[in-house]
Amino acid sequence: MCKTLKPMMIAAVISLCFIISANAEETVSINSLVDDAETYDNQKVTVEGEAIGEVLERGDYAWVNINDGTNAIGIWMKTSDAEIIKYFGDYKHVGDTVRITGVFSRNCTEHGGDVDIHSVAIEIVKTGRAVQDEISDAKIVIAVVLLCTAALITLIYLKITKNKKQ
Amino acid sequence: MQNIKTRYLSFYIISYYTGYIIVGTAFLMAIPLITSLLMGEWNPALDFVISMSVALIVGYLMMTLGRRTRKGEVQVDWKYGFIIAALSWIVLMFLSSIPYLLSGHSKSLLDGCFDVMSGFTTTGLVLTQDLDHLSTGLNMWRHILTFIGGQGMVVLALSFLGKHMGGAYKMYCGEGKDIKLVPNVKDTTRIIWKISMIYLLVGTVALWICGMFIGLKPLSALFHGLNMFESAWSTGGFAPNTQNMMYYHSFAYEIITMILFVLGSLNFGLHYAVWQGKKKELLKNIEIQSFVITSFALTAFVVLKLSQSGVYTDAVSAFRRVVYNVLSAHTTTGFGSVYAQQFAHEWGDFGILIMVIAMLIGGSACSTAGGFKGLRVGIVFKGIIADIKKILSPERNIRVEKYHHVKDYVLEDPTVKGAALIIVCYMVLFGITTLLGTFYGYPLAQSAFEAASVSGNVGLSIGVTSASMPAMMKVQYILAMYLGRLEFISVFALFGFVIGGVKKLCVKH
Repeated sequence: MCKTLKPMMIAAVISLCFIISANAEETVSINSLVDDAETYDNQKVTVEGEAIGEVLERGDYAWVNINDGTNAIGIWMKTSDAEIIKYFGDYKHVGDTVRITGVFSRNCTEHGGDVDIHSVAIEIVKTGRAVQDEISDAKIVIAVVLLCTAALITLIYLKITKNKKQ
Repeated sequence: MQNIKTRYLSFYIISYYTGYIIVGTAFLMAIPLITSLLMGEWNPALDFVISMSVALIVGYLMMTLGRRTRKGEVQVDWKYGFIIAALSWIVLMFLSSIPYLLSGHSKSLLDGCFDVMSGFTTTGLVLTQDLDHLSTGLNMWRHILTFIGGQGMVVLALSFLGKHMGGAYKMYCGEGKDIKLVPNVKDTTRIIWKISMIYLLVGTVALWICGMFIGLKPLSALFHGLNMFESAWSTGGFAPNTQNMMYYHSFAYEIITMILFVLGSLNFGLHYAVWQGKKKELLKNIEIQSFVITSFALTAFVVLKLSQSGVYTDAVSAFRRVVYNVLSAHTTTGFGSVYAQQFAHEWGDFGILIMVIAMLIGGSACSTAGGFKGLRVGIVFKGIIADIKKILSPERNIRVEKYHHVKDYVLEDPTVKGAALIIVCYMVLFGITTLLGTFYGYPLAQSAFEAASVSGNVGLSIGVTSASMPAMMKVQYILAMYLGRLEFISVFALFGFVIGGVKKLCVKH
């Protein structure tokens, strides 16, 4: 019985170790990075989030800001890497979801103390899209009714004050 | 009949002028409306049509109700000036939050009102969700609110709508501004706008060009430049993206905004004096002296502490992360070049305490800045020194102490007492707000940081302000921003008026 249990326990412990190390390889939230910046400082990390705004090109390298829903961070990457991102999140777009592996700095000396990630690898996890600006009919009706009411009240006010003047 | 007229006269006056200011703000919504139309953002455009219509309806109804006060036939007492200013801010808070609510980026009316009050008071704290996907129109509206709030909505109404403005000076003072640049208050408000508009042009162009150099597309750089100028000049602290100043990753952008928010925190009287060629004013003015001394001392303390503890070891990092944030706090701007959590985890209690002091002191009187103002700190400090000198000198000696603020003033006891009273009011507000934070379980240092930020209309956050914080705290923060910006007296006058009215009703029935 003991002979059977022992290898099973060892196997379980080993597999548990693999799970833990696999988790360390997996994505970490941006808020966790900032919250625990000292631990992650100068460590290789993987983050996943939506590319937002636009690419800020600085010669051969560029800044891409990503937001994972917990927070946003700047990624320093090669301009050629940034070019694979097609959509950046704004009012009219949902940006590409990118997975970035790179070195996290809580006080990047190259970038004046920035909290950033210097990208080593980039992968598009989900392609973004353009967002349709759908307008509900109810909204249009409400807007028209209110606009007419406002115009009417303005006219009434102007008439009253004009009469008073005369 | 005559008796009824007299009884309701105060309501007519308040209703008419408050309506006037609301109509002025309603017309401002045309700017984000046009922006939305130009950018092809149809939903936000409709949101602004709805909001503008509601504001016009409310404004004109109030003006119609109080139309007897038109033509300046009625004498506007001081109390009305204060009440109108305080009431306008409350009504406008609700009306201006409509675009936020319709956009779906505010979780509740309370959150919308919080953000509007944060904008009006040039605080800069944000509860709006998903800033990175906000429409250009709504972003424009957020920054216009903070820009207008910095100069004052009453100032705006007086400048552009003020045909029938009897008692204008009283309303102008009610909004926390009391300097007369020229004898006529309408001309004074116009000068304030002229100064702001010239800086708007210069500042926006500078940020636009810089934006293009750092990689923003030309149109995007223009919107970012305009928004960031409005925020910097009005010492507001709003930014179009979640990361605030960290979005740009640019030293140059930080330097330009720093210059703008320091300029914005200076007294309009000082700007006007310098524009008139009185350059020596920059050296002699008590507010400048006070600002330079406190800025240098506070910045040096934090730089020393954080470099000792190994957080920022090189000069560039120290400048961009420490000097920038301390000056942002001191001018009550609230632009942040570090994450909220970094204040809590890396700056330590000493750093937080210094930031609290910087935020509470604030910028100059009659500027766009908040806090209890360098002028008052200078006056109280000089008052203390004068008292010490008086005690130490022979009784027969009569000493006359003076201070220089655009011109020379004799330092009199009522002036010192008045300045000290406002400082005490701020400290009480700060104390109550901190207490409430600790009541809800936030650590003392974090509660104090956030309380100083709202009381001083700063906008930096240590992480307390969020959509999930208790509703009572949101209400208290709104109240603190409002009281801090209007410097108490107007709000007390409004409370007194309402309580007096309720009392009269109770006695009657």
